[in-house]
Amino acid sequence: MTIGIPRALIYWKQPQFWETFFENLGFKVILSPPTNKEIVEMGVKVADPETCFSNKVYWGHLLWLEGKVDYIFVPRLKANQEKLEYCPKFFGLPDLGKILTKTPILTEIFDERKEKLEKTLKRLGGKLNKNKEEIKKARGLAFLKEKELKEKEKQEVSLKIQSKKQKIVLISHPYNLYDDYINLRVKEKLEKLGAEVIFIEEIPLQNQKSKIKNQKLDWPKFHWEFGKEIKEKIEQVLNYNITGAIEISSFQCGCDAVLKEFVEKAFKQNKIPFLYLMIDEQTGEAGIQTRLEAFMDTI
Amino acid sequence: MKKPIITFARWGNYTIAFKTIFEQLGLEVIPPEKTTSQTIAEGAKIAPEMYCFPLKVTLGNYLPALKKGANTIFMVQNVGGSCRQRYYGAIQEKVLKEAGHDINFLDFRATPKDIYSMIKKISGASLLQVLKAGRFFFKKLHLIEKIEKLAQFCRPREIEKGITDKILQESLLKLDELKKEKDFQELKKEILKRFSGIKIEKNKDLPKVGLIGEIYTVCDPTINFEVERKLGLEGIGVYREMDITYHIKKLIFPWKDWIIQRKINPYLKSTVGGHGRDAIYEMLHYIKEDFDGIIHLLPFGCMPEVTIRPILEKIHLESGIPFLSISLDEQTAEAGIDTRLEAFTDVVRNYHQYKSSKL
Repeated sequence: MTIGIPRALIYWKQPQFWETFFENLGFKVILSPPTNKEIVEMGVKVADPETCFSNKVYWGHLLWLEGKVDYIFVPRLKANQEKLEYCPKFFGLPDLGKILTKTPILTEIFDERKEKLEKTLKRLGGKLNKNKEEIKKARGLAFLKEKELKEKEKQEVSLKIQSKKQKIVLISHPYNLYDDYINLRVKEKLEKLGAEVIFIEEIPLQNQKSKIKNQKLDWPKFHWEFGKEIKEKIEQVLNYNITGAIEISSFQCGCDAVLKEFVEKAFKQNKIPFLYLMIDEQTGEAGIQTRLEAFMDTI
Repeated sequence: MKKPIITFARWGNYTIAFKTIFEQLGLEVIPPEKTTSQTIAEGAKIAPEMYCFPLKVTLGNYLPALKKGANTIFMVQNVGGSCRQRYYGAIQEKVLKEAGHDINFLDFRATPKDIYSMIKKISGASLLQVLKAGRFFFKKLHLIEKIEKLAQFCRPREIEKGITDKILQESLLKLDELKKEKDFQELKKEILKRFSGIKIEKNKDLPKVGLIGEIYTVCDPTINFEVERKLGLEGIGVYREMDITYHIKKLIFPWKDWIIQRKINPYLKSTVGGHGRDAIYEMLHYIKEDFDGIIHLLPFGCMPEVTIRPILEKIHLESGIPFLSISLDEQTAEAGIDTRLEAFTDVVRNYHQYKSSKL
């Protein structure tokens, strides 16, 4: 039996975690390919015109998997360990997916306000007729893989922070940062212009023992997980002596409309140049290039 | 501290009731300006571009009131649940301060305790006074909702065209001017008498349309280009379930949500924030009640409503009921909406005839 996972949106919240989990349960896993033009076009065609660009791309990936697999895995992410909510658009993904494809959808509600992740995974495994031991083993390996990735990221980032080049921090959701087609290879472009690019996602959170005091930002208390995460990471990043900040948001992202106001304020208060880029299916590469060059010149 | 002069977020005809609370507590109030294309443009100028429409509208309503001397703004939080409405207060405060307004922004959660402590802090009124003001508020609110419903009923059936709207507007004006609670009963009697005096064709066979969608746009006739009135004058019965009482009831009694969830389970298995689930529930309900059309109103890019729209479209395809979804924002033009409504009324009438011919 094969399980398909769309390589978009929620996949990037925990890359490689789900593949490892399902592979160790003994299933064949098919990931949709990295985003390309056809996938975006497919998604845009079927999606509601007012939903956010990231969502449209997700539907493209979902449709690519249709017919190629036995199940498509679309989790319903509701709340994380800290009891903070995900974007409300994630809540409806499995139901909307059901409308779009004929391939059955494998789903489970991940709400840690009500149930621990381990227990939810057990239920998910139960749906696939796997026993407790198998699930426990697969879960352990998946967590291990996730940890490994984080460690690797941590080492890379500590090198980047010490770099002598101009450091630019990219602020966005993981599904915009890691998907090169969607963000029009911003990272590559900036590196060509001589900058060291740091993703906000990579920045490790400081443990409480550290002596450096972070600047406290005066933000409202967010009930969204990424709101809190980005706030804490920006507090951290202000210590790194960065030269510029770029926020990328997908068109019609409701959460970013709130976040942007505060992110912009935080950098302006610290007199760090700030650029806001909006991406959608019509964004052209030349336009982004010009704006990035102009931004690098101002620094 | 300066003497607080209060203004607050405008919300359709219910603004009258909100104003009463502050007046009863002896506070000075400058009600927010009525929504016009000009206030919307002013609000949109300083609001974040990507934010949803009601934020821009309410911001535009404050500005003239602030010019007249108001210095304190009331804004309620988390009306909607998981959606962006939670941050209206924070964003509006930031935006207004950046635009150079020296204001005191009171952002509170919609729980009785929070509301009470906030009012207490600003007015220093006793519990009894607050309760009295609250009672008067609910009396006015109920009457407003009642006459809105009566107007919905009378408008398509009236014999003398336009009389219902005239009475509705005059009643609202009188209600706005009413200051003393003891005169309320008399006014209520008078208003209801006037409404019952409207001559109507009793047994008229009307096509029926249900209004669903985001609560603010559905309830405020100044933003939705008076959809209710326009359809009513065309001879179509308009119904809507959304109003403040519905919302407050849902806040107090959670089982309404459970019932809704049970009914919509085949379509959506989770909340999506705001009144997303309610829209699906209402649509299914209207289909059961043999309605002839559904109009879905939402602010452009509203997160919950956009998420559930594909589901509404699916229900529409399954049942064959005419369905029109209208997104509203500062660039929506009235002429465009009118054309779509006209075309829609034709579809609704045809559907109604087709259904009755089959019987």
